[in-house]
Amino acid sequence: MLTFADIVGLDTAKQALLLLAVNPALAGVTFAATVGSGKSTLARAFAALLPDDAPFVELPVNVTEDRLLGGLDLEATLASGTRVIERGLLARAHGGVLYVDGLNLLDHSVMAYLIEVMTRGAVHVEREGLSAVHPARFVLVGTYDPSDGEVPRGLLDRIGLIVPFALQTDADLRAEVVRRNHLRRRSDAAGCLSEAASDEVHMLRAMIADARARLSQVHIQDEQVEALIHASLSLGVEGNRADVFAVQAALAKAALDGRNSVDDDDLRLALRLVLLPRATRLPEADDRRKTEDDAASLPNRSNQNHEGQEASNEALQTQPEQIEELLLSAASAELPKDVLNLPFAVQRRGRSGGRGATLNSQRGRFVRAVEGAPQGNRIALLQTLMAAAPWQAVRRREARDGQSSRAIPHAAPRVCIRKEDLRVKRFRDKAGMLYIFAVDASGSMAINRMREAKGAAIRLLQDAYVHRDQVALVAFRGRRAQVLLQPSQSVERAKRELDVLPTGGGTPLASALLTAWQLARQARGRGIPQATLVLMTDGRANVGLEGSDSDRSDAQLPPSDPRSQKAQLQAELQRLAALLRADGMQTIVIDTQANYLSRGEASKLAEWLGGRYVYLPNARAEQITKVLT
Amino acid sequence: MTAVEVTHARSSERNGVMARTAVNYPFTAIVGQDEMKLCLLLNVIDPRIGGVMIMGHRGTGKSTAVRALADVLPMLTRVKGDPFNRSPEEVLLDEPNAAKAAANGSAQSAKLKTERIPVPVVDLPLGATEDRVCGTIDIEAALTQGVKRFEPGLLARANRGFLYIDEVNLLDDHLVDVLLDVAASGWNVVEREGISVRHPARFVLVGSGNPEEGELRPQLLDRFGLHARITTITDVAQRMEIVRRRRAFDADPQAFVAAWEPQQKALRRRITAAQKHVADVEMPDDALMFAAELCMRLGIDGHRGELTLARAACALAAFEGRRCAAREDVKRVALPALRHRLRRDPLETTDAGERIERALAELEART
Repeated sequence: MLTFADIVGLDTAKQALLLLAVNPALAGVTFAATVGSGKSTLARAFAALLPDDAPFVELPVNVTEDRLLGGLDLEATLASGTRVIERGLLARAHGGVLYVDGLNLLDHSVMAYLIEVMTRGAVHVEREGLSAVHPARFVLVGTYDPSDGEVPRGLLDRIGLIVPFALQTDADLRAEVVRRNHLRRRSDAAGCLSEAASDEVHMLRAMIADARARLSQVHIQDEQVEALIHASLSLGVEGNRADVFAVQAALAKAALDGRNSVDDDDLRLALRLVLLPRATRLPEADDRRKTEDDAASLPNRSNQNHEGQEASNEALQTQPEQIEELLLSAASAELPKDVLNLPFAVQRRGRSGGRGATLNSQRGRFVRAVEGAPQGNRIALLQTLMAAAPWQAVRRREARDGQSSRAIPHAAPRVCIRKEDLRVKRFRDKAGMLYIFAVDASGSMAINRMREAKGAAIRLLQDAYVHRDQVALVAFRGRRAQVLLQPSQSVERAKRELDVLPTGGGTPLASALLTAWQLARQARGRGIPQATLVLMTDGRANVGLEGSDSDRSDAQLPPSDPRSQKAQLQAELQRLAALLRADGMQTIVIDTQANYLSRGEASKLAEWLGGRYVYLPNARAEQITKVLT
Repeated sequence: MTAVEVTHARSSERNGVMARTAVNYPFTAIVGQDEMKLCLLLNVIDPRIGGVMIMGHRGTGKSTAVRALADVLPMLTRVKGDPFNRSPEEVLLDEPNAAKAAANGSAQSAKLKTERIPVPVVDLPLGATEDRVCGTIDIEAALTQGVKRFEPGLLARANRGFLYIDEVNLLDDHLVDVLLDVAASGWNVVEREGISVRHPARFVLVGSGNPEEGELRPQLLDRFGLHARITTITDVAQRMEIVRRRRAFDADPQAFVAAWEPQQKALRRRITAAQKHVADVEMPDDALMFAAELCMRLGIDGHRGELTLARAACALAAFEGRRCAAREDVKRVALPALRHRLRRDPLETTDAGERIERALAELEART
């Protein structure tokens, strides 16, 4: 087994985990990492650092409601004839760690329960005739593969430390990973944890225990708290929970370093792991310029650290704004240049994932029980018992009589259940439809098109609250398509995030199709099986996929002959259309080209996509919604 | 009530357990968010206001406030061990048999034993199934004793108290339907698994949620008397106070609660006094007219708007120890009483709050 120290890379994640081990008030750590970067190994190694009696519970992403929250203990209930409740996974993690690999793949309802339980610190079971309260205070360690999409904000908000995603590309590091892994395998094969490794574990455990004991004595100055709050304000962090997390993170860092007072480094780390990932905007423009200047002069400052120490300490005591400035300047190197990369602002785009969970008739919400055979179904125990209940007296008598005649005495069962009593669960999947509006934002009429598409999206959401439908909006212009609204049910969010609609530039139609396909894929992973693409365009593509991905500089250059270039674009579109079609995407192409200009591109596209073609040159929001419903 | 036996022990026992284990953050120690706090208190003073829906950002103390409310609520008197928290009068009305039995018994005055319990604040968890919400057949009794007995659900426990649903916009649709039915009629009717029961279920419905998580069904929104909106506090001093108090509470909950007990006690006294006087608060024609005109100006359908305005204004006057609700009281409760009743226009970008403010200003200017 690999130990905590064996894992190379993921350094920030390791640091965050140590802080969490010291201070459970931080509630959790989440970090993104690609497949094979050792995230699960790290989480398990983390468990080894905790006290022996702390449970480590792994939550599979396809967990069912009764396993999650608790339900009837089948065996015990049948044996005793009284209801016996089995604690769910959340309750079993009480006092320890709940580990989720694939935080972004959790079912919508599972996510809601998880948030609820984290808020209350207890599981309230009110289901299937059971009623109980189980304590469930745990810290959450959640990892995810960013290519499968984002972790919903509602959950992120409850997690204290959010480690930003960093690719691990260093070749030396990679070699080191392999080397250590190999060594460890050999020592494992020898049947023991090497001495050095167990020393490491002991040392870390001692360090954590020491820091935990120290934590309550660590002092943070009011000015430092104020600085964190200022930073959180200027980053537009939502809610007041993050302030508390930031303070707790700074305290934990100080305790871990064996100090009794919080210093600048602690504040910087708190800013990095708590506040920055929650930013919804970048600091004001002039703030930013200032911070960039500061960042440029930062190396100097660290060189003169010895004499600067006192001065900065003095500043700490007088001017919170100065600390804030210092904080933001240190962080400015990490601030994404583009506000679109902030998960709490507009969620980032993901690449297509290879791991979409498929829809399962055994998932979703248990709605009713029907008669049926248990094969391939889940037994509805309560309903089965109810069906059997009225017959118990008769059957017990029968059982007694039968026994005496056969003269083989054996105890009559407490409950006699026969085949005809069996009831199985029927589930209803809450999933609705995902509507993806892909809107051509290039050209002069783009503003109108965008506005009407926004109106249609919002209308659809307002009508869709019963169906649990979701809406996403993709705009394509310039070099590539961009997701303006990630799949959402919220009218409010749609209104807010579609406030600014960028227009103008070329027409990267292929990129729009690819983006829609990716969105549909991700949605399927979250249990929304069906997607409908509403494509609003004149169909005249003039930017291919190469244009949409600047990283592909090694790809062959487009031929200079404009005719063959056009043919290539068409071929690309045709290929993508076939892909969407094969994936079962329903499509409606809304042709917005003025009549006299139309050369039938849009209708051809609809044909390729196997979708409907609608001609609405001045498409209005009402018309679009009518077409859809 | 029909003559079906009712399982008592389990629910009352659990009530006790919950009361002992949970240490809530004190209501009076919550910083800011005055609209939300006022909406909750007005409902305590006059439950006919019809509940409150709290919508707002994450991490702004919505559920903290609702759970804290339990500790400032006065006690209520119920028949000892009654699973529906009924008063003796209600039991006698509901169960003529019990009345007769009591009358025939030795105690001529038909006295039922009573007890004082805290007003219940019942949490409805998201994963709750319908049978636990409404109640169902007591399966144990059916299996082991062959008795058909009703086991009350959460709605029974919430009678005469508060029913709280966090993340109400994520609640399953069919449960929402059940809740709407019961909230409208005040009665829970159970017809399932051979059980036929009808019991009172009058409660103040409190919901909270984040508008970004999903839309709320308009029918559900209408059911709530008041609609409070809360946002992130941006005042630095207030936020520092929040962090300070939160840390103190987390470090030693018992000591923190003890330190705030004087304020809690004072609030409890104020609430009790207001409850006693709210029925006597008068509302002059001038204030009533103002409420009606405001609703007309905003184009609000039906009369629920005016009624809620009037009730909330009277409760506010009572809370502040006045015997007369004035135009000023109407203005102060207008936002939460009306913001969810305006017609919804998909492309309207003006905030409902702004529209109400504008209507108020126009009305003021005219008179």
